[in-house]
Formats: sequence, structure tokens, C-alpha cells
Amino acid sequence: MKRKLVASLLAAAMTVGMLSGSTMLTFADEAATEGDVQTVSADGAVVTATEQTKATDNDLVIALEGSVSGLDPQNISDTNAISACMGMYETLLGWDDDGNMVGVLAESWDVSDDNLTYTFHLRQGVKFHDGTDFNADAVIANIDRVSDPDNKLNRRRLFIITDENGNETKRITNIEAKDDYTLVITLNQPYNVFLNKLTQFMIISPTALKEYGNDIMNHPCGTGPFIFKEFEEGDHTTMVRNDDYWGEKPSVDSVTIQEVPEAGSRTAMLQTGEADFVYPFTSDQINAISGSTDINVTASPSNIMRYVTLNMNLKELSDKRVRQAMNYAIDKDAYIKLMYNGMGLPATSCVPSIISYYEEQTPYTYDLDKAKELMEEAGYGDGFDLTIWGDNTTQEIKGMTFVAQQLSQIGINVEVVPMEPATVSDSIYVDEADAKINMWYVNWSASDRSFDSSVRALLTSDMVPPTSANTAYYRNSDFDKTLNDALASNDEETLKADYAKCQEMAWEDCPWLFLGNDEVIYASKSYLSNCKVNPDGSLNFEHAVIAQ
Amino acid sequence: MGKYVVKRILSAIPLMLVISFLIFMFIHLIPGDPARLIAGMDATKQEVETIRRQLGLDKPLMAQYFIYMKGIFHGDLGYSIKNNAPVASVILPRFKPTIILTICSMIWATILGVFLGIIAAVRRGKPLDYLAMIIAISGISVPGFWLGLMLIQFFSVNLGWFPTAGLTMAKSYVLPSITMGCGIMAILARFTRSSMLENLRKDYVRTARAKGMSEPKVILKYAFRNSLIEVVTVAGLQIGGLLTGSVMTETVFSIPGLGRLLVDSINFRDYKVVQALLMFFSLEYIIINLIVDIVYGFLNPKVRYQ
Repeated sequence: MKRKLVASLLAAAMTVGMLSGSTMLTFADEAATEGDVQTVSADGAVVTATEQTKATDNDLVIALEGSVSGLDPQNISDTNAISACMGMYETLLGWDDDGNMVGVLAESWDVSDDNLTYTFHLRQGVKFHDGTDFNADAVIANIDRVSDPDNKLNRRRLFIITDENGNETKRITNIEAKDDYTLVITLNQPYNVFLNKLTQFMIISPTALKEYGNDIMNHPCGTGPFIFKEFEEGDHTTMVRNDDYWGEKPSVDSVTIQEVPEAGSRTAMLQTGEADFVYPFTSDQINAISGSTDINVTASPSNIMRYVTLNMNLKELSDKRVRQAMNYAIDKDAYIKLMYNGMGLPATSCVPSIISYYEEQTPYTYDLDKAKELMEEAGYGDGFDLTIWGDNTTQEIKGMTFVAQQLSQIGINVEVVPMEPATVSDSIYVDEADAKINMWYVNWSASDRSFDSSVRALLTSDMVPPTSANTAYYRNSDFDKTLNDALASNDEETLKADYAKCQEMAWEDCPWLFLGNDEVIYASKSYLSNCKVNPDGSLNFEHAVIAQ
Repeated sequence: MGKYVVKRILSAIPLMLVISFLIFMFIHLIPGDPARLIAGMDATKQEVETIRRQLGLDKPLMAQYFIYMKGIFHGDLGYSIKNNAPVASVILPRFKPTIILTICSMIWATILGVFLGIIAAVRRGKPLDYLAMIIAISGISVPGFWLGLMLIQFFSVNLGWFPTAGLTMAKSYVLPSITMGCGIMAILARFTRSSMLENLRKDYVRTARAKGMSEPKVILKYAFRNSLIEVVTVAGLQIGGLLTGSVMTETVFSIPGLGRLLVDSINFRDYKVVQALLMFFSLEYIIINLIVDIVYGFLNPKVRYQ
């Protein structure tokens, strides 16, 4: 009896073991990253479905990792909230698939020669979901709302300049409706990223604003292709097709954005068909879907820049040769392979290629001899000690460890110090005299895709901590001046030349270890088409089509 | 009895005040600045200061505490920094999933756990004892995270019996309840077994048997009833734990419960939400302990409260 029992228990244990072996959901062997790199075809397809299935309904369900924090488009900062809001709201300006700025609620726009006056010709015949007409007064009501300090909205920053003493000046000196569909905005000083910023500014129905005030987050009302249905914080957001939409009407009946924090669960939902689209789809999940024939996995370019700041106040790091040597000592291809299963590209400038005015620079090709030579030249042939700070997530620790290992090849002994994210930020934004930072493993993405937003807070002299995030303490007056000149200009040629110069300087000076730009990876059912992830990680589901 | 209960409830008030103060100070002592997190990495110091002022975080800590407590006594838990909404409106919807899951998990875990414990004690040293204890030890040892993912893979992906995520239908509670209750079932089985073994050795059990009472009656009416005190204590503590939400289970099954809310709020330094949740959890333990004490009285008439 006892023996029989032991035998059957053993059998049960083996079954469980086999089950876990064949269907391992998450912890795919990290060694798989070595040599087993995914190949991405030109159109970004990582895994292509072999079976074309049909859906049983026309409701799009999207599983996302993070939460939608709220639905007040003028008071959100997280990407998922932007995705949800973009389904219901629209902006004056937006981006097309090729990254060109295009009109959305504004049909066209002119900028005066002094770069101060912007005239927007608004689209006619557009109605908000509550039936209110979209016109110049609606835009004015939105700008008034966001500018009012009592509303405590975080998008207020778009319209305010704060000086060192905390005094505020309004960026907009005058705003008027010339007629119902012509809006004229005058700025107090030239600001060439104003249009970029407007691609982030969504317009709410003025009638709804009057009725609900700041409770508008529970009653979203815009002009977008989808109408709000329900929002459960921490769970899901649902919207239904707007049959009166002014543009091309959506094909799907409804869109539900569901929060699914665990990668393995997201994959399972895709397999069962509970979700039609999941993002992010981590590269280690690719093995888990090997048995499914109706799933497409796609990689597309992102605006994420991965880099390590080098504190130039430190004696060792103040020498440009040392910083260049460190860049030569890092094998960026191995970095992308190890961290992103090969789905990404080594950095080729201080901004990703998707950013406006990006110019490719000569890469610091992995070259240990050259790196050692530069170290010798600088008098650090024997190396020195450094620390690297970063968030305490598995992925970030892996990246920091990689950097430490690479730098050890040229004698630099790096101690990896992972910290809880809010603690990192507390340790960084301190007075310069108290700064203990050596290196910071970090990433940055500018949602408005402007060059200025991509570098200003990270590389200009005014922005060293505690003011902002220039933890390289990079101070190059030429860089500052060129960037500021560009901000005040609207001439394409000048902008192109200025921004190219900035990139050359930053690349030559190496305030950072330039690592790479990873790609956004998402997976979808084969019956779903035209649902994408934008370079900033927000979703583009407006034109999604589900094959029935 | 009534007087005892009132006294216990009243004594909870000063305790809650001390707890509120400690929680407030501790969460504000954790490094990290919500204003910076809201503003973003690229915001300037001045912009961060403006947000800090708007949130009232520029005031001295004690002043902030008094403003907060004043609000509490007026039934106002403050505003969530992350959601820009009243704390109550953020927390309340999260209770339902957590409470239902707690009830479902406790019911099956208690029934099965106690049953296994009794069987194991009665059949001590026999195969049934070993089987029960293997089940119990596995229940404690299996990580909830792994178990959850395995259940999803097997019952949702392969068999298609249950949904993977969310709590949209009655069926959706099954897999999360199994995951959450597993460890508790195991703990209860072990406690029931050891307590039963102790009681089965007692004189009154021998007397009952000597009187010729039937074995089931001896076990259930004599030994088990006396073991219940320990079982109830353990079960009470487990309910308290489950009501704080299970981060693992909620994460794997995408359930918007209290556990994930707490972790998200701590990461975001959403002080008011963290404070409200921790105070609620403290209160909950106080109440559960009180209920457990009262149940003792019913189980064992010798326990009397003055």
C-alpha cells in the first residue's frame, strides 16, 4: 500500500514537472539570449502567424502592463492614460506614420516671421460627443482651464515659464478667436517646440467642462473616434465607436484597455483569445507562444534612449579621453543582444533616430585596444573605482552589471548600486556640493519627439541637479547657446544645422555612455490588423480591424 | 459580555491614534518625493516646488499630520496624489474583489485544511497521515506566483475552463481562490493535526472511550471541539492577512484588489492612500482579534470575560 502510494505521488510530481517544463510561461532561460537572438524582418515581424483565424466578436481587447491612472487628458502623465485618452480625445496637431507633423483638429497653421504668432485654421463640422460644436472658443476654454493654477493640472507646464525664484510668466500673451474657426495665439518669446507640445494637448468639450469641472475625468467628452463607456481604476477602460466621427470611422465596435501586470498572464490571455493585443510583449515570452499558430509578434522603433551619465565633476571622468575610452570599451551589439534579445539598435547619437533633426554620428565601435590606449594617455592605465546607480528592477540590474563587466576590461572597477526608483530620484536631485553620483543607468524618451525636449533637461548647464536631470554635470556653453538659438528659430536650415552641431558636440564630449535604442514589442492575434504601438509606447488602435 | 465588547472597542481608539501617528511619520520618512514623480525626471526644481506647494507637502510634517487628522475626524481621507481623486473613491472599489476572494479562499481552505488535519491526527503514522501532510507541505511550499501561472496555463490556456484575468464572472474567482487558499489550507491542516494529537492524548478522551462512546463522537465532540480554539486563532490571523490583499495573486490574475493598490501607492509615494490602507488594515486586525476572543467564549464556556 505504502509503496503504491509513493509511486503514484512520484508520478504526480513528474507530471507537474513536465507541465512546468513544456509550458514555462515567464522565466524563460536567460541563457537563451546568448546566441539565440531573434531575427526581425524589415517590417518588424518577429514571429509571423501561420494560421489566419477569424474573431467571434468585433470588440477589441488590449492587455497592457501598467495602469491607466486617470482620464483627464490635461492632468495625466503616464503613457497608458495618454493611450486611453487618445481614443476619445483629439489634439490640434498630431503625427503621421512617417513621423511628420500633421493637422488633426487644426487643418492648417501659419507661424509669423518673428516666431511669436501662431494662426490655426480649425477643422469645421466637428462635434464633441455631447453635441457641442468644436470651434476656436472650445480651444480657448481648454487653454484657460489648464492655465488656471487653482485647477492644479499638470499640463499647465506647457503654458508657463517658471524662473529660478519660482515666479511664473505666461507663455501665451494673447489668444483670440478671429472667427469661429481661426485661432490666433501669441507667445511672449520664440519657442519652436510649441507645435510639438500641442501634439500632446487634447481638447475637451467646453460644455462638459462647465458641467463637470475637474470631475471631467469621470465623464470624458472629446471629439475622438471612440466614446467613453466605463472606467474602473486599476482594472479596465472601455470605449465604444463614435458613429458620428468626422474622420474615417473606426471599424471595431468597442475598445477595452485592460491592466494585466504579469507578462505570463498577458501571454495566456492572448492564447485564450481573452485579449486580442498585448503590450509590452517581453522577448522571453516568445518561447511560450511557440505552440500557437495564430499570433503575430512585431517590433517597431521606439523613442527610448538608454544611456549612462558620467559625472564630469569627478576628476577621472573630467577627462574627455577617459569618457571616450569608456564608450569604446562597451560592446553595444552585445548589450542589445543580452538585454533585448537583439531587438534594438546601438545608439548612434544622443537621441534616437525617430527624434526630429536626428543626425547619425560615427559610432564608438567596440575596440578595447583603442580604449586602453586612451586610458594610458589620460594617465589612468591602472584604472580606478566607480559606482553605478539605477533602479532595482531585474532588467536594470542586468544592464548595470553588463556595463560594470565591460568597463572592468579597461581596469575600471564598477560597483553596481541598485535602488528603489523613488530613492534613486531622491539621491540624484541634491545640491551640487552634496552630489555623490558617479554614473546613472537611465533612459529617456521625449513624447513630443522634439530634439529640444530630448536633450534640454539632460545636457544643458542650467539643468544640473537639483534643478533637473543633467547628472553628467555637462557644461558646454557652446552647446547651450546653439540649443537656445535653435529654440528661438523657425528656419529649417538653421534648425538642422544647429541641432546637428549639438549632436556632434555631445557625441564628441561623451557626457554619457551611449548604449542603445530598444524597440517596442507587441503581440496580436492574426485576425487583428492596423493596431500598433507608437514610438513613445502609446497605442494606436483607431484604425484597428478585426477579421470576422 | 456586552460590556467587555464595548470596552475592547473603546480601547482601540487610542491605539488607532498611536498607529495613525506612527504610520504617518514612517511613510513620510521613506526617501522619495511624490512631486518629483508627478513632474517627471526632466522637470525643473521650480516646477517640482510648485507641485509640492499645490499638494501641501511644503508644510512642516507635524502641521501636515494635524491637517490630515482634522480631515479624518471630518470623514475626509484626503486626495490621492496619483489619481487626483478622493482617497475613499480610490480605495472603496478595491474592497469588493479582495473581500470576495478572501471569503472564497477561506471557505475551501478551512474545510479541506481541517478535514486533512483531523484525518492525519486520527490515522497518525499511517499512509493517510503521510498523504495529508504531503499535501499540506506542498501547499505551504508552492510559491503562489508559480501556482497561479501553472493553473492559468493548464485550466485556462489548455483546457479553456476558466478565464485568465479579471473578475468578470463567477468562474473567474475559482483559480485565484485556489492560489490564495493553498497556503492557508496547509497551515490549518498542520495546526489542526497537532492540536488534535494533543487533545486525543487527554484524560477526558480516554474517559469518553472507556464509557463506550462511539469513536466519531469522541473525535468530533471531545477532541475536535477543544482543538477549535487553536484553529480559530490561526484562521482569524489568516483572514486578517488575506484582507490586506495578496499582491502575488492579484498580479498574476490581474485583479484590482487592495494588495496591488498598496504596492502601487507606495511606489508612487501616494501618501494619503498608503496611510488610509495601513490604518484600515490595523483596524481590521483589531476587530478580527476581538471577534476571535468572543468566539473563544462560545467554544469553551470556561473562558469568561469580565
